[in-house]
Amino acid sequence: MRFGLFFEMSVPRPFDAGVESAVFLNALEQARLADELGFDWVWAVEHHFLEEYSHCSAPEVVLAAVAAQTRRIRVGHGAVVCVPEMNHPIRVAERAATLDILSQGRLELGTARSSTWTELGGFGANPDDTKKTWDEFVRVLAQLWGDAPVRYDGRCFSMPERNVLPKPVQKPHPPLWVTVTSPGTELDAAERGLGCLGVASAGYAEQERRTREYHRRIQQCDPVSSVVNDRVTTLNFLYCHEDRAVAAERGLRMLGLFGLANAHLLWTREAYPTRAYQSLGNLAPSGGGDAGDPGSGRAAPEGICIGDPQQIARAIERWQSIGVDGINFLVNAVETLPQSQVLESLRLFAREVMPKFQGGS
Amino acid sequence: MLVGTADLDRLGARAPRLPAFPAEPLALGGVEVLQACFEMRAASREPLLPPGLHPTNPATCIVLAWRCAESVWGPFSLVQLRIGCRSGVRTRGFVWAAACDLPAAAHQLAAHWGFPARPAQIALSRRYDGCTLRVEIDERAVLGIDAQDPDPLAPDDVQYTGTLTLAHTPRGLRLVQIEPRTTLERAERLRPRLAEFDAEAWGSAALTPYHPVSASVGVGRVEIPPVRFVCRPDVLAFQGTEPAR
Repeated sequence: MRFGLFFEMSVPRPFDAGVESAVFLNALEQARLADELGFDWVWAVEHHFLEEYSHCSAPEVVLAAVAAQTRRIRVGHGAVVCVPEMNHPIRVAERAATLDILSQGRLELGTARSSTWTELGGFGANPDDTKKTWDEFVRVLAQLWGDAPVRYDGRCFSMPERNVLPKPVQKPHPPLWVTVTSPGTELDAAERGLGCLGVASAGYAEQERRTREYHRRIQQCDPVSSVVNDRVTTLNFLYCHEDRAVAAERGLRMLGLFGLANAHLLWTREAYPTRAYQSLGNLAPSGGGDAGDPGSGRAAPEGICIGDPQQIARAIERWQSIGVDGINFLVNAVETLPQSQVLESLRLFAREVMPKFQGGS
Repeated sequence: MLVGTADLDRLGARAPRLPAFPAEPLALGGVEVLQACFEMRAASREPLLPPGLHPTNPATCIVLAWRCAESVWGPFSLVQLRIGCRSGVRTRGFVWAAACDLPAAAHQLAAHWGFPARPAQIALSRRYDGCTLRVEIDERAVLGIDAQDPDPLAPDDVQYTGTLTLAHTPRGLRLVQIEPRTTLERAERLRPRLAEFDAEAWGSAALTPYHPVSASVGVGRVEIPPVRFVCRPDVLAFQGTEPAR
């Protein structure tokens, strides 16, 4: 079992001077500590215009800073939005290769297509097309990283023969992932030989079903490159404290506020009816409070890693038993928790829980 | 989180009276449904919502028009001007204003569900290649939408969010939660254009629909169920949600 941190860079209002900076600097400190403690990954999302929820619009810059300040932890784009209005595929290949060089081969590259009208509409992207462009991006990236110049004629972009530079350190290329929000996207990942980077909370039974089907499908995949990434990760929340009542009080408040911020996003389907977005996205687990009251949480939803070390270890054992290879943790939301509490939670988790799972590499 | 900043006294002054919550659902048949979504300017995010609601980012103004062939009052049309919002974690459309072309329907929709329906002339017409909506109040054009280039959708691809009206109920001034069930037989997505919009006539200069997002048109039936919950408009839904009865 591997463990990672997952950064949304959520910023509380009011956006006074220094508030945004503090969120980014706190995240860097958390990444440095996670590196020392033996965590495996630091992921940073790509979101645009999502006030409060995520101010992480330039994850490649964040990850370059993380890479420069750490020694061994892997850095993950979680994920690059594969929509040409936001990211040209050549620029994605160039930036990723550069980050792989600067991190000395520690890059993981997640791919996604964005879920909100706020983002897609802001860039003038057509929601009907994002699945097509994502599919094209993931099929062409490995070619762009190859040693030979590439000529490409596609649907969302074309190029005469060029050599895309630099080349990544990892050969043939960094591991590729797909962020999975909607049920069924894990099958898209499996069919292309891509890792399943879960970013929506699911209960044990649902995750077990998805994981089983993913592993079944990937056996017959048509991979987008010469390597297959067959790992499955899930997104979780972490607040670890010796006193489970304190853990619940603090952790569930964080969870509730994240859920509230998530529910306030303007999902594509709400504004723009389309077959391409079948469900409203929702990254937050349900339950844990009275009618979603962020301040009145009473019990953590199933599988959520909020509690004392024993509680959290039991939850992770269960995730491990259903075939999950890694868990990425949100460790704060809109700065609900003071940085000192976040760091203490990470230290306690690393001391009491991680050794049970050989999580450190 | 941003919350609405609308003055409740001013909102309450134009809110309808809802003396008793309905006990039975209302069934509407043969309904042509047009929904058109427009982004509004950022300055419109908070002033149009009561403090109990959160705005969306970006602010959205949704026009929802029903042309009902069959109802207990006979054929009628209703146009809702809705502000996209959140009530707690729930996705909602706050009915800022409404217009109806049949007085009996307007009265009953206000008295039972809190729709603030003003008398109006409403023309919703579907053509092979598009759809138009025109609303006149006091012989003055206040809303015009032209939607073109229909693209067939599965009926389930169209989403209608829950409704909140503001009314003087037996529990006081409350946001009335309404969950109409819209069942479409066919649906199309179109590109809307705002041909006419008179913000003052709709009650606020803060209404600034300017950027068309999408429109959909469908045919089916609508059921408006009895009201189960209301919310205080002055506090967030977590604290202010109450059973209607």
